[in-house]
Amino acid sequence: MNRNNANAITLRRRMNETERKKRIFVYCSILPVIAIFAFVRIIPIFKNFVYSLFESTVVNPMQEFVGLKNFVDLFRDPLFLLSLRNTSIFALFVTVFSVVLAVLLAALLVNQSKLSPLYETLYFLPVITPMVPVAVVWKWIYDPTYGLLNYILSWFGIQPIGWLVYPNTAMVAIIIMSVWKIVGYNMIIFLVGMRDIPETYIEAARIDGASTNQVFWKVIIPLLKPILLFVFVISTINSFNVFTQVFVMTSGAQGAPGNAVRTIVFDIYENGFRYFRTGYAAAEAVVLFAIILLLTFIQFGISGGSGDKKIKIGKGGAN
Amino acid sequence: MKIMRKMFLVALVLLVALQMGFANGSSEAKAETLTIWSGYPEMEKFYKQAAERFKETHPNVTVEIVSHPLREFEQKLSATIPSNTVADIIEVSTYANQKFIDAGLMPALSDEVLKFAKADGRYSSFALNNNTTNGVIYGLPLFQGRTALFYNTDMFAEAGLTRAPQTFDEMYQYAKVLAKYDEKGNLTRSGHSLRLSGQGSGVAEKFWFTLYPMGATIIEEGKTPGTYHAAYNNDAGRKALQYYIDAVYKDHWDDQLIKHDTEAFELGQTAMFFRESWVIGDIAAKAPGLNYETAPVPKDARWGRITNVENLYVTKASKNPELAWEFVLSLVDEDNQRWMFENVGWLPCRNDINIADIIERHPQFAAFVYTDPEYEEYGYIPIAAFDEVTTKLAERLVTAFLDSSLNGNSAGIAKTVSDAAAETNEILKRYKLFGE
Amino acid sequence: MKEYSPIWLRILKHGLLLLGCVIMVLPFIWMLSTSLKIPSEVLSWPPQLIPKTFTMQNYVEVFETAPFLKFFLNSLTMSVISTICILLTSTIAGYVFGKFNFPGKNFLFVLTLATSMVPLEVYMIPLYMQMVKLSWVNTFMGLVAPYLIMSYGIFFMRQNIMASIPDDLLDAARIDGAGEARIFFTVVAPMLSGPSGALAIFAFQQTWAAFIWPLIVTSTRDLWTMELGLGMFQYRFTVDLGPINAGSMLSVLPVLIVFLFLRKKIVRGITLTGMKS
Repeated sequence: MNRNNANAITLRRRMNETERKKRIFVYCSILPVIAIFAFVRIIPIFKNFVYSLFESTVVNPMQEFVGLKNFVDLFRDPLFLLSLRNTSIFALFVTVFSVVLAVLLAALLVNQSKLSPLYETLYFLPVITPMVPVAVVWKWIYDPTYGLLNYILSWFGIQPIGWLVYPNTAMVAIIIMSVWKIVGYNMIIFLVGMRDIPETYIEAARIDGASTNQVFWKVIIPLLKPILLFVFVISTINSFNVFTQVFVMTSGAQGAPGNAVRTIVFDIYENGFRYFRTGYAAAEAVVLFAIILLLTFIQFGISGGSGDKKIKIGKGGAN
Repeated sequence: MKIMRKMFLVALVLLVALQMGFANGSSEAKAETLTIWSGYPEMEKFYKQAAERFKETHPNVTVEIVSHPLREFEQKLSATIPSNTVADIIEVSTYANQKFIDAGLMPALSDEVLKFAKADGRYSSFALNNNTTNGVIYGLPLFQGRTALFYNTDMFAEAGLTRAPQTFDEMYQYAKVLAKYDEKGNLTRSGHSLRLSGQGSGVAEKFWFTLYPMGATIIEEGKTPGTYHAAYNNDAGRKALQYYIDAVYKDHWDDQLIKHDTEAFELGQTAMFFRESWVIGDIAAKAPGLNYETAPVPKDARWGRITNVENLYVTKASKNPELAWEFVLSLVDEDNQRWMFENVGWLPCRNDINIADIIERHPQFAAFVYTDPEYEEYGYIPIAAFDEVTTKLAERLVTAFLDSSLNGNSAGIAKTVSDAAAETNEILKRYKLFGE
Repeated sequence: MKEYSPIWLRILKHGLLLLGCVIMVLPFIWMLSTSLKIPSEVLSWPPQLIPKTFTMQNYVEVFETAPFLKFFLNSLTMSVISTICILLTSTIAGYVFGKFNFPGKNFLFVLTLATSMVPLEVYMIPLYMQMVKLSWVNTFMGLVAPYLIMSYGIFFMRQNIMASIPDDLLDAARIDGAGEARIFFTVVAPMLSGPSGALAIFAFQQTWAAFIWPLIVTSTRDLWTMELGLGMFQYRFTVDLGPINAGSMLSVLPVLIVFLFLRKKIVRGITLTGMKS
């Protein structure tokens, strides 16, 4: 009895000791992480909301509290509305084209062949390449007088086009280049998803007499739906943040007209870091934040909350 | 795996070593280091040789020179002046620096430098006024960016033209004759390279070259001193836009597809264009075989050329302002000013320096120093809002130049001009600088 | 899925895929080709894919004009430091969130998860202001600070730790008397080499490609990264497409070489880690 008691006490003491050690470890390890995290994420995100309610000067971002005035001004500012419109068009087209092309490419690539590694490497090449050199070379490809694209088009009797000169073609040009850049990324994700579909599903459909076409539309695409949705939302969010290619392609005397491809982030950059209208730019950032939040909710809403499922699909491919 | 880890470690150590090597290279002799920032990459060589000369009398002083592309440079100033992380000396135009002067972030000239600047006949009153805010002088003028007309003499000779155009009408006719097309009607050589596209305020500045002689300007002072309003919503403003639209659509002697500006001139793809004197140095380096002349800007209702004064400022971030001012003074001494003119191509601001022999050697400079009582000088208005005014006007102009429906559409042109002017006034109101 | 298609369909398929490959690769070849041309050939019509006269002059000019080696080292240093920090912070926080209970845990975790979707562009203004206050503008600290942590990395490591490290294993180590820190470094960390590699590649690529933050926060060339250096460099040359493309080539080449060697790992790292939820 006594011995048992003593054992229990030692055990408890030891457990308490372990718990204490655990607690010390938890706080010692998580606090520095939380500190960095607060400093470079939480506080700035929070402050951004605060700034958006203030009128600012060069030296003081919080000169005078003006309530929602910045937002009211924003939605009457033709340049902001234009950048909102441009960014939406850009995001829509880049997403749709890159997703559709990626699904088609993945469907063509899903059967492994000797050339598969080559294809996967080459299609992925633009994804890992940094944006600036890529934008620099595309700007040169789009050159109206000496550009490669106009030369190739001239084989088909098409007159030279001033790709980066006119607002509409400048937008098309930047969309084409951006689709080129990300299509390989989407393709790989779809490929992983398609290769994960159990063979038996497809065999079963075939035994039921489905054609290749029907198998694709009726079996593969529905099974890919969660991944499709995921890629769609990620591409849209990334497209809303577009900046680098716009910055490079509009710079210089031969660059695209600024307003034709003015995007939200570009407008934030200009207002915030050129005219030093910090509060106003912060208000724009709040709008961008709201758009991204909405897109995230859409994804969570449709896919039914938890993201764990997709991670598993991902890991399945990695093993 | 083990080998990978080792390789990684070795690479890391190497990387740190290399970085340290670089850091050491740049920070030796820290005690007396002056940093100077410029918005003009071509000025680097000027500062380098000036620094070497300064070292002869100040052997322990090292000068670090950094130049940025102009647009980024202005943004950098916004980032670094308020936080006191800017260089000891900055070379910048008044208008770009004005918001910092207004905010009290720029020290005034030291007494010694002020005495130097105010000496009789040293600087034009234009240059000094440009640097004065509320009666205080903040920067020392270094060089001036004046505009003149560059024209390709071979192309002129080929077209039977023997002298530079004297008026805008004449220039328009010249441009019509000088433009060339291929068999499909595409422009292969523009008559006069206007600035039709591109980002930033450049388009508006170049438009000003036409606007001002026609009798308008971008903004002018209102009835209350220190207030401004748009000054181009008038006949002259409409005429200037008409000039551009006619050039692109009616007579098509320029368009957006062809190469522009210095590049086009050096490639022989345009016969004429307006630019500052640094182009002379650029042509000498990149297209030495080009035959060309320069001429004063043609006349219209009036006659004038833009003059932008670039100044040297010592900042509050400087730990040794006395030494910094000393170096600034050496930059504007006779030898350095002459060296800058001859080797970089920027025109010195000092009037009391003889540059006649340099002009004799490089006759193309003559148009830039040409003076005439009627030949007015105008320049950037030293207010903080001016940058935003010109940038936003530029964006509207780029859109307008692309709008073929404005061809022969005076109502459309009038609307474009008045919409732009309304925006200009809006911006001025926001800066609380608007006045009828 | 097995291949049932007739031969002509297969030819058509490979034809299409190869055409796609040409489109993917052509800009790089065009970049390389332009960078090796003499000025008169760069602006010639019709454009030649293979230069008639090869020249290295453009590369010489690039190195004379801009300190590209310095840019490269800056990018490398920044990316390496960022990757190490992200790995450390993600693994530690992921482990603590996944295997321990403490007050405020859920709140902190939700906060982490919620901010993983917020891009830098949204909060770059206040972040910049903080750097100004700390005098970190135009310093290496300021440059690298936003890249020391990755919300998604914490989430990703937590998922992996929860799935692959059984509690029993940790308890066994505790009973053996191992301290918590030792358990973390000797038991937990070695089991995570797979996900760590994937996260490292993802983090590295993300930092290497950073553009807007270096653009804002640096003001002198000695801090410019490869991306920024090239972005700024293109202003330098209005006529000279050769050097611009040579600069681009220099910025692309290291990435391509690493990619060709570690292709499989990189594709997995970037796509799978990138599958944010």
